[in-house]
Amino acid sequence: MNLITKNLSFKHENEYYLNDISLEFKVGNLYTLLGRTLSGKTSFLKTIAGLQPLDSGQITFEGKDFNSIPVWKRNVAMVYQQFINYPHLTVFDNIAFPLKQRKMKSSDIKNEVSSAIQKVGLQGFEKRKIQELSGGQQQRVALARSLAKKAKILLLDEPLVNLDYKLREDLRNEFKNIFSDDLSSQSILIYASTDPMEAMQLNGNIIVIDEGKILQHDTAKEVFENPSNIKVAEITNEPAMNIVNGSVESNKIILNQNIQIDLPDHLKKIESGKYFFGLRASDIVLDDSGFQFVVDLAEISGSETFLHLHQDNLKLVSLINEVKNFNNRDKVKVKIMSENLYVFDEKGNLIFSPFKYK
Amino acid sequence: MNFRHKFAFLLPGLVVLIGILIFPIGFMIRLSLSSWDTFYPGLDFIGIDNYIRLFTDDSRFWESFFRLSFLSITTVSLQYIIGFSLALMVWRDIIFKRFFRVLFLIPMMTTPVIMTVIWRTFFHESLGPVNDVLSIFGVAPPWLTNEHLAKVTIIIVEVWQWTPFMFLLLLAGLLSLPKEPFLAASVDGAGPIRKFIYVTFPLMAPISIGAIIIRLIEASKIMDTVYVLTSGGPGTSTETSSYYIFVKGLREFQFGYSAALSFTYLIIMIISLTIISKFLVKLLIKK
Amino acid sequence: MRTFYIFIKYFFITIWSMFVIAPFLWALSTSFKDFNSVTGGAKYIPWLQFEPSLEGWSVLIRSQGKGGVNIIEPYFNSVFVTCSASLLSIIFGTLAAYALSRFTFKAGFIRNNDITFFFISQRIMPPIVLSIPFFLMLGFLGLLDSLLGLILVYMVLLMPIAVWIMVDFFNRVPKEIDETALIDGCNPFEAFFKVVLPNSIPGLIVAGLFCIIFGWIDFFFAFILTFTKVQLLPVAIVALNSSVTPWWSLSASALVSVAPLIIVAFIVERYLSKGNLSGALK
Repeated sequence: MNLITKNLSFKHENEYYLNDISLEFKVGNLYTLLGRTLSGKTSFLKTIAGLQPLDSGQITFEGKDFNSIPVWKRNVAMVYQQFINYPHLTVFDNIAFPLKQRKMKSSDIKNEVSSAIQKVGLQGFEKRKIQELSGGQQQRVALARSLAKKAKILLLDEPLVNLDYKLREDLRNEFKNIFSDDLSSQSILIYASTDPMEAMQLNGNIIVIDEGKILQHDTAKEVFENPSNIKVAEITNEPAMNIVNGSVESNKIILNQNIQIDLPDHLKKIESGKYFFGLRASDIVLDDSGFQFVVDLAEISGSETFLHLHQDNLKLVSLINEVKNFNNRDKVKVKIMSENLYVFDEKGNLIFSPFKYK
Repeated sequence: MNFRHKFAFLLPGLVVLIGILIFPIGFMIRLSLSSWDTFYPGLDFIGIDNYIRLFTDDSRFWESFFRLSFLSITTVSLQYIIGFSLALMVWRDIIFKRFFRVLFLIPMMTTPVIMTVIWRTFFHESLGPVNDVLSIFGVAPPWLTNEHLAKVTIIIVEVWQWTPFMFLLLLAGLLSLPKEPFLAASVDGAGPIRKFIYVTFPLMAPISIGAIIIRLIEASKIMDTVYVLTSGGPGTSTETSSYYIFVKGLREFQFGYSAALSFTYLIIMIISLTIISKFLVKLLIKK
Repeated sequence: MRTFYIFIKYFFITIWSMFVIAPFLWALSTSFKDFNSVTGGAKYIPWLQFEPSLEGWSVLIRSQGKGGVNIIEPYFNSVFVTCSASLLSIIFGTLAAYALSRFTFKAGFIRNNDITFFFISQRIMPPIVLSIPFFLMLGFLGLLDSLLGLILVYMVLLMPIAVWIMVDFFNRVPKEIDETALIDGCNPFEAFFKVVLPNSIPGLIVAGLFCIIFGWIDFFFAFILTFTKVQLLPVAIVALNSSVTPWWSLSASALVSVAPLIIVAFIVERYLSKGNLSGALK
């Protein structure tokens, strides 16, 4: 049975933490709540858990009104980004805690805890104290505890963000395996994140949230290919999508006085007028036959380079798939892959996208 | 996070406290509006006459405030300076570190009254060891019978008694400081004095202020020492506010008037201590 | 330059140590004197300067009828009252402190901080202010000169300390641990007792130590509110401080009375060195 939230609103000191959120969550699915810091992700998760009150709205789960059920009676599990475990208990007791609360039989508890420990790869750690464990191990204990609970709703608040890079990669890959049972056994997983890459990797349903409002919710593929407005396009791309104020005149796209581009195939039907154009950083490539820009800054990140460019008033960020050293004020020539151009109207809503013809 | 259970946590303590306090405080206020003393026992009602008398006709009361301020500010300052120095000295490794730490804690663990009784014999002008030693130099100061020296004697006893309290709080604070700023200062070539001024002292500021406020609150109640050592004398030179209230109430049995004094004292102390705390905290935030 | 600092350090420590020990040594020496040794001017070393006598010490053991000073009973009274009042204060105070740390209270314009301030401000009141009303109140309830009466009064003194220390301590324990306990099926009471409390032992110990110290050393309330049936230690000893001052018995009983808290000093230092105290006191 599904989790239905309707018109959830919560305000604190004149700021909307949750602004009229209505969403439905279907069992057996993974939902990624994607948004910037302070966009309302944690508020939402805490509201579902029962730790944060609502000003207005309804939450229904399995047909029952969730709001009237206190935290400790809701069958949810939550994993925080700061590795939260019970410091005074061993690994085994930590994971067994919620089961003991439920008054499960000792033998059953032992089985559940063992299988949870297996899933997160902490065999042999049962008798250890929490303080002795590393960050990654502590977070695994927290994950194991949420698994053992067999909760119907699993809430994860950026669980991997405090781990080092390699560990994050490993855990993310194992993630689907760890939670495969839950997903198939009719639980709902809600995973909050600020990282669009992570959201794409998890490949579930993406819910884009900003300033307490839901901007778009759809499959990962759909959100990536067709962001419904400029804000979504910025949030779901790293680096943010380049948005340029331009116009279409006499069948040419005009970005500024020097840059005029022929209409690509998917935009042949566009009318003249003013628009916002969206272009991913990876769709601006170095090409000697392109337009000339001046380099403001070259950021090397891993095996890629972000080039911050400008030409007169036009500022763009380009993503180059190799490590290339540029100095400030170098001149480069770039080409705009217009076949991947997005078009948004003056209000910022999507009109044309390279993946779908509107 | 708010649950109905929160009241079950808070109310027992709050109710017990208010329950035990409500009668005494209420009664004290009512008493202050009467003129109950040995000649006219009983709870009559004279309005705010006691308060008028207090404000217009009782310089002894206001003088006691000055003495109290002098004594408490002096003793707390001395306790802070000495306590901090001691804490700094036994903070890192020195010989017999643990022995000295325990030793420096001991005075605080003793009952002030009892120790003051001993101090009374200690400072006895003809039979006590202090003057015995000093007589070698030809002086035998009248520790307890000279109005200025009496204050000094009280300060000495208070400093002996309560410096360990400052010492404890400050040492605990020092032990919890992170190592990094000190390492950084060493790398930058700072000597011990510079390290103190620029690293230790600023890091200890919040704890220092907390300790000072707490000690000021406790010091303003000074009673046992005065009672045993000087009985407020000679004359009224060591008479603090609380001692004066004691005299009026339990020596002269002017219950009504002393209740008025008590209430006024309370209000003044709460206001001034709140102002001092806020001031010190602002000083901290500025830093 | 370094040796200069070290010299100053040890010099200062030595001077202060002597200052700390001086009254104890004097009391020790005095406890072995008698009338002549005391009035003949200050003397210090027994046998060398005066004839030692066990008068001061034997007075402690003799029963009251034979002119002795009974300090055994006041001793136990003090222990009982101090420990009971501390225990109760910690129980009530810790519960209240947890509420003030975790929940929000609003009654008109009164907020959490105001309630905390109310608790802590009880320390501002000098004993004298409350003594006459307490005297009358206990008299009315028939609790004058009783252990129970004293325990009630001491709770007013000690609960603020427990609240002050525990509120600060609880503020340092991450709220998320409480939240996780709630999510795992505990109601707020269970969360407190099963999860928060076991992790608060250092704070409780500090609060306990301070309560015991401040409870043990009280003189004034015991002085005003008890007479003959129940006497606490400080009162019993000061009662000896009459005009014909028997310095020797005074000194002996004083030394005996301060001995127990020296043990407390050891405990405090041990805790300090382990680093637990520092966290709880910040």
